Amino acid sequence: MSTEPAVTDTPDPASDEPWQRLDTRVVWVDAAKTLLSMVPAGIAIAFFGAEINWGTMAPILAATAFGVLGGIADLLRWVKTRYRITDQYVERRTGLLVRQHRSIRRDRIRSVDTSAKLRHKLAGLRVVTVGAGQHSAAGEAALVLDAVRTETALRLRQDLLYGATPAAPAEAAPRREQADGQVLARLERSWVLYNMFSIWAFLMAAGLLWGTYWLLRMFGLDPEGFVQGLADWDAIGTAWTIVIAVAAVGVVGVAGLAVAFVTENWRFVLQRVPGERGTVLRTTQGLLKTREVNRDDNRLRGVQIAEPLLWRWIGMADTTVVSTGLSMWSTTPSAQILPRGPVSVARRVAAEVLETTPSPVDRPLRTHPRRALRRRAGWALTTTAVVTGLLAWLTTLIDGLPDGVWFAGLGVLPVGLGLAVVAYRALGHTVADGYLVVRSGAWARTTAALQSRAVVGVTFRQSLLQRRLGLVTVEATTAAGMGGYSALDVAAADAVELADAAAPGLLTPFRVATAAAADDPVAAQARP
Amino acid sequence: MAEQPIALRPPEHRVERRAIGLWALQSLIGFAVLAGLLTAAYLIFDGARSWLGPILVVVVVWGAVVTVVMPLWRYAVHRWEVTEDAVYAVSGWIVREWRVVPLSRIQTVDTIRGPLEQAMGLATLVVTTASSRGAVKIPGIDAQVAARVADELTKITQRTPGDAT
Repeated sequence: MSTEPAVTDTPDPASDEPWQRLDTRVVWVDAAKTLLSMVPAGIAIAFFGAEINWGTMAPILAATAFGVLGGIADLLRWVKTRYRITDQYVERRTGLLVRQHRSIRRDRIRSVDTSAKLRHKLAGLRVVTVGAGQHSAAGEAALVLDAVRTETALRLRQDLLYGATPAAPAEAAPRREQADGQVLARLERSWVLYNMFSIWAFLMAAGLLWGTYWLLRMFGLDPEGFVQGLADWDAIGTAWTIVIAVAAVGVVGVAGLAVAFVTENWRFVLQRVPGERGTVLRTTQGLLKTREVNRDDNRLRGVQIAEPLLWRWIGMADTTVVSTGLSMWSTTPSAQILPRGPVSVARRVAAEVLETTPSPVDRPLRTHPRRALRRRAGWALTTTAVVTGLLAWLTTLIDGLPDGVWFAGLGVLPVGLGLAVVAYRALGHTVADGYLVVRSGAWARTTAALQSRAVVGVTFRQSLLQRRLGLVTVEATTAAGMGGYSALDVAAADAVELADAAAPGLLTPFRVATAAAADDPVAAQARP
Repeated sequence: MAEQPIALRPPEHRVERRAIGLWALQSLIGFAVLAGLLTAAYLIFDGARSWLGPILVVVVVWGAVVTVVMPLWRYAVHRWEVTEDAVYAVSGWIVREWRVVPLSRIQTVDTIRGPLEQAMGLATLVVTTASSRGAVKIPGIDAQVAARVADELTKITQRTPGDAT
């Protein structure tokens, strides 16, 4: 656990620490998985007398082949994978054809997370993911151990995150007993309402219905005839048939989304748990696949709350932490600390996570000059002009298009102007209690609070048009989260003031005048 | 640069005059390749001429304007400075950028020299921080100056403890 620069950059191959295999239970899980994947095809053939031909059996045979091959591949992976933990490194060797050797320096480790699918849970296994700030070191993937025994996973996390292993009893204690942390939020039943209604419902329903259709066909049933027999569709008429179909698909999709949300976030708890290197924010969730994510509080740099436009009327929000080493774009949203839910909860949790009262995200924000609205309206007009122009040009090129098509381009204007107003009203910024708070966004109004000490640079950006309007975009760059947080279209006269408050002292040598003279930069510049 | 758009003074050093030529050449080559491809397409595909023609005209006119205006405009705007505490650079033309990075947060300092820059004895100084959006690029400075500044910055940043996040 040394952080001295003397640590070499490559692991010592001569280290006598023995290499370890992944848990042997992985083999049994693989075998069971392989057998299970044969079951549906077997049942279809044995009990329903399905013929083995590619017409009806293709999906099920493909699934079986996929399952069997997957099981075998996983077995080979187990045979070829070794890992070890030395004083300075976590190392893993794997790969059948391409040998892969990955190592992570232990003092660079930023997170050790465990997850388990149903098959892992039944076998008492956990998948351990060791993360080392892949955000800044581009292209570096996390090191995954898939899988080790639950006790080993807990010990690994203890070792890697907090150094020395505590006495053995800590391992023996059941997981739920560790709830000595401060609970910040638990799953509430009403949250499911926020996650049921979405355009994804139709996509999900389409997938579900398509799968069911094939499954029934395979077992020799006739879903088409069943649906046709439900009602006298000819008497209902085409229009109503479509309405009923869309409604039915919608209901299936909404139910599907609700089930998906509940299984994913079952027993969701966000808590702050003490560790030896300071506290961590821990979320645990999941019914079939459980996931536990730990976020080191030492790397916490702020929070962000996003409110989607279409759902702002019911106060829906996504809450993420701004933290170094947590990528915003990773597949497991480790930065997200709350499921999509009410904005009131998001604000309360944000305040508790930052431990600042009043919370930076609750602070009143300074509005931006009205000229910023002009810029946004300008975008709306330009977009409309471009779309209309392109349509008009296309009608001259393509004979089949009716002459009036360009007229449709004008329809962009009201939507664009509406969004311009929404985007303008979203703008806001302030600096308070050592936090830079910026808000912007049309489709999703995003409020971000970033600690001043996390600011690693300041960027001002001004286009020709912004210059004529007297506006500047001020960006505070940082190692955490999105890499930079911007206050869009601040009045040019206030820009330096804002940046100076966000990053105290950085700009002092470059400022043209004292704060008093800054009101009139032209006059200040005129002096020698 | 008579009046300052924001309340910061311009950085001390201009870039080299040769940079005007560099930018003009870069722009010329870029637009020549694009126009060449479009012209080839125009000659090969008869059916597409009606809509490729206007696009080709726009690209050629815009390319000519950019090649003449952009290098001079950039030369008027681009400036840089390294103090004991920070790197400060102004760049851009239609969209202008002021970037300030404290030396204590610098992670790497590179000099990059493309083939054109090598031929003209110029270099681009790139100063990166831990932020994915925080790199300061100073193009068009003398290669020897760039190497010297990079050396100094590297020495200073090595003395700074911590991981600069």
